[in-house]
Amino acid sequence: MKVRKKITFILFLLSITLLLTGCWSKRELNELAIGVALGIDRVDDQFEVTVQIVDPSELSIKQSSSRTSVVTYTTKGKTIFEAIRKMTLISSRAIYLSHLQIMVIGEGMANDGIKPTLELLARDHEVRNNFYIVVSSKSTAREVLNILTPLEKIPANKLFSSLEVSQKKWGVTSKMRLDQLINHLSNDIKSAALTTVEIIGDQKIGNDQTNMEIVNTPALLQYSGLSIFKDDKLVGILNEEESKSYNYLRDEIESTIESVSCPKNDGNIATQVINSKTEIKVKSIKDIPEFDVNINVEQNIGEVECQIDLTDSNTIKQFNEKESKQIEKRIKSLIEKLQNKYQVDVVGFGEKIYRSHPKEWKKIKGKWEEAIFPKAKINVKVNIKTKGLGTLRNSQLYEQKE
Amino acid sequence: MSFSKNNNSNSPESKKNKTKDPLLKSLAENVKIIKKVMGNSNDIIIREVDILKTDKQRIAIIYADGLADKTAITDFIMESLMLDIDSTPETREEDIIQYLKNFCLTVGDVEDVNDLQSVYRAVLNGETVILLEGQTKGIATSTKSSKDRAISQPSTESVIRGPQESFTETLRTNTALIRRKIKDPNLWIKSRVIGDITQTDVAIMYINGIANDKIVKEVLERLDQIEIDGILDSGYIEELIQDSQFTPFPTVFNSERPDVIAAALLEGKVAIIVDGSPFVLIVPALFPAFLQAAEDYYQRSIISTLIRILRYGGIFVSLMIPSLYISITTFHQEMIPTPMLISIALQREGVPFPAFIEAILMEIAFEILREAGLRMPRVIGPAVSIVGTLIIGQAAVEAGIVSAVMVIIVSITAICSFLSPAYAMSNSIRMLRFPLMILAAMFGLFGVMMGAFAIILHVCSLRSFGIPYTAPFAPLIPSDQKDAIVLFSRGSLLTRPRLVNQKNVTREQKLVRKKGRSDLGES
Repeated sequence: MKVRKKITFILFLLSITLLLTGCWSKRELNELAIGVALGIDRVDDQFEVTVQIVDPSELSIKQSSSRTSVVTYTTKGKTIFEAIRKMTLISSRAIYLSHLQIMVIGEGMANDGIKPTLELLARDHEVRNNFYIVVSSKSTAREVLNILTPLEKIPANKLFSSLEVSQKKWGVTSKMRLDQLINHLSNDIKSAALTTVEIIGDQKIGNDQTNMEIVNTPALLQYSGLSIFKDDKLVGILNEEESKSYNYLRDEIESTIESVSCPKNDGNIATQVINSKTEIKVKSIKDIPEFDVNINVEQNIGEVECQIDLTDSNTIKQFNEKESKQIEKRIKSLIEKLQNKYQVDVVGFGEKIYRSHPKEWKKIKGKWEEAIFPKAKINVKVNIKTKGLGTLRNSQLYEQKE
Repeated sequence: MSFSKNNNSNSPESKKNKTKDPLLKSLAENVKIIKKVMGNSNDIIIREVDILKTDKQRIAIIYADGLADKTAITDFIMESLMLDIDSTPETREEDIIQYLKNFCLTVGDVEDVNDLQSVYRAVLNGETVILLEGQTKGIATSTKSSKDRAISQPSTESVIRGPQESFTETLRTNTALIRRKIKDPNLWIKSRVIGDITQTDVAIMYINGIANDKIVKEVLERLDQIEIDGILDSGYIEELIQDSQFTPFPTVFNSERPDVIAAALLEGKVAIIVDGSPFVLIVPALFPAFLQAAEDYYQRSIISTLIRILRYGGIFVSLMIPSLYISITTFHQEMIPTPMLISIALQREGVPFPAFIEAILMEIAFEILREAGLRMPRVIGPAVSIVGTLIIGQAAVEAGIVSAVMVIIVSITAICSFLSPAYAMSNSIRMLRFPLMILAAMFGLFGVMMGAFAIILHVCSLRSFGIPYTAPFAPLIPSDQKDAIVLFSRGSLLTRPRLVNQKNVTREQKLVRKKGRSDLGES
C-alpha cells in the first residue's frame, strides 16, 4: 500500500511537469501578420522578397479608415529564408505564411531559374501546398504585389480567384500548385508551364488608393497566356490561343468559348465548350515515336451572327467539321512551336512513353527533348459534338428570307 | 399501513434500535415517559379518558396534531370508544384489546404496539396510538392525514404532447401515480426506512418477472448499507448508492414524471421513491437515457430520431467547441479557411487577452449568470438576465474586452448544453468544458484529443449497478440500437434492453396489420 502511494505520488509529480511546457508555440491571432502573397525577385545576386500582408482592421464592415487593406514589406537577403526573417525588422508581427494564396515569381528570377524559390516553401512546415504560382511578365514580382485591386480588397485574393475563374471559364490559364510544380520540375521531362501575370495601365497610380476610386481602373493585374519553362528557366511565353491549345492537350479545359465563321462568311458563330476529354496514346516508338491525340469536345451553340439552319443536322455536321479542323490546326501549330522553337516537351508526351513502355523510355530519356521529341509525329484528331442550341432554335434576328 | 412495520424483521433499523423499552402496566407511567421523551411538545396530543360504563377502562389516545387526520380521530376513534361502545354487546371473552379492535375501532388499519419506540414512530407517522391501563400492549390506528400538494405539471421536464402530471412530495401519492399506469399485480413495492433521525420511508418499485433479480437485490443491499441520520431528498440516496463517487457523470437517473418511471419499469429497471421528494430515482441509468426525453416516444419516431441526433451534436458542441476554438486560433491557424481567419483576426484585433483567458472569462461569466438566475427570487430574474445579456453580449464586445466570435462561441456552448433533457447530464458536460479548455490552451489540438480520450475512457469504465454505462454503444448491442440514437418506430421496438433485462425480453408481439383497407369504401 505504501509503495503504491509512493508511485501515485511520483506519477502525480511527473504529470505536473507537463504543465511546465506552458503554452509552448502558442501564437495569438493578433500577433500574426497574415501573409497572403509572396513575391520573389532577383536583384543582383540577392533575393528580393516581397510579402503582401493583410491588415484585418481595414477589412471591417463597420469601420474602415483611409488605410489600405494590405501592406507589402520588401527585404533582400542571400537566401529567401533570411529575407523573410529579416522582415521582422520592419514588421511589428511575425510573418505567417500558412495562408499564402499566391506566389509571384519575378521575370528576372524566371530567366535565372526558379528552383531556389521553391525549396524553402516545400521544406517549411508552416507553408501549405494549396497556393498557386504565377510568373510576372514585363515587371518584377514586387511591382505586381504593389498594385491595389478594386472589388477584391486583398489583391492576393484577386489573383487567386481570378486564376480559378479564368481556368474554369476561359481555359487559357493553368492553376499550378507548389507540389505540382515540383513534380513537373523533378521528373524526367523537366519542364513546366506557369500562368503569366501582367500589369496593365499606369503602375504608379496602381500603388495608390486612388486606383480603387476610379471607375475605369487605371492599373489592373491581368493574366496573359502561359510561360514555358525548360528545366527551371523561362524559354518563352505562349499567347492566348496557344495557351488554350496547351490546355486542350493537357486535358485541362473545363469550359471555354470557340468561334467559327459562318458558312457564307458573313459573321461568326460562338460555341460554348461544356466538356472536353483528351486522350494521348503512344502509337509506336520505333525510331520516330508516333502519338495519337484524340480530343472529344462537347459543346452548345452560344451565339449566332448569321443566317444558318441549326435544325438541320447536316449544317451542324459541316459546322462541327469546320470547327474541329480549326482547333486541330491551332494545336498542331503549338506542337510545332514546342518541338522546334523551344524544344521542350511541356505537354508530357515523354511521360506517356514512360507509362506505356517504361523500358524503352530508359534508353531514350537522355536525348528525348533535344533529339527525339522534335522529330516525333503527333496526330491530332478533334471530335466535336454539338449538344444544345441554347434557348432558341434558329435565330429570329437573322431570319431566313423566303 | 406504515412501511416501517412490514419489514421490521430484516431492516437495519430494527437491528440498530436493540434497546426497546416495553410498555408498562401503568398507563400514567407510560404517559409520563412519553411526555418526557417527546419534550412535552405541544403538538403531541394525549387525551386520557375512561371508557366502558361498567368496567371503567382508562385509556390514553395519543396523536400528533397536524400529522393525524383530526376528523378521522373524532369520527372513528373518539366517537366509537366513548359513545358507540356502550351499544355493543358486552359478551367479552377475549381480552379488551381484541374487543376494541373487533367492535369499536372503525378504522381500516389497526396494529399492536408493544414498546415505547413503536409508539413514538407510530405517532410521528401520523397514526393514533391507544394505550390502555393495565395492558403492556397498545393499538396503533392509521389516521394519517393526507395533506398533500396537488399533482401539478412537471416543472423540469415539460412536454408538449404527453401526460402532464408530476410526482409530489408524498410517497403514497407517487406510488399510486405509478400504479395507475401499470395495473399489474407483478408491480411490486419493497420498502425501507432510512435515516436514524428522519426515519424516511423509501420504497423501491419494480415489475417482478421483468426486472433483473440481481439488480433488485443489489439495490436493496445498497439501501440497507446506508447509515445516515437524515434523508431529505432522493439526491441523498442517489449519492449514497451510486457505483462510483469520483465521476462527473450521473449514474442514477431521476425524473419527476410518472410516465418516464413507468416506461423505465417496463424496461426492467428499478425505481427508488423517497418520501418527501418529487424526484424518483431509476437504476440502472445508462448514458443514452440522459439524452432521451419522454416526448421522444410520444411523437413520430422520425422526428424523435432527428432530435436525438441534434442532442448528441449539442453535447459534442457544448463539450468541445470552446476548446477547439482556443486550440485552433492559438496553435493551428492554418486550419481555418483564409476568409474566416481574416474575419476572426479582425475581431481579435485590439482584444487585450489571449483567446484562452477571453474564453475562460466569458464561460465563467455565463456560469455566474446561470447560477444567479437560478437562485434569484423570480421577480428579479429578468432584470439580471437583461443586465447579463447586455454586459456580455454587447458592452463587452463594444469595449473591445472580448471578441464577438467568443460571445457566439460561449452562447452556442451554453444553449447546446441545455439540449440534454436531463439537467444532471448538462451540468456534467458544462463542467468538463473547463479542463478541456485548459488542455487546449496548453497543448492545442493534441491536448484536446487527449482530454477527449480521457473522457471517453472514463465513460467506458463506468458502470451503473453492474451494467456498462455506455451500453448499447460499448459493448455494441445491435438489437438495442433501435432505441439509442435512432429511434425505430413503435412497432419494431419488440425487445427490452438486453443488459438491463435478461429474463423477459420480448416486449410485445409483432404488429400484424390486416392487408387491404377495410374502410367504408369497400362495403
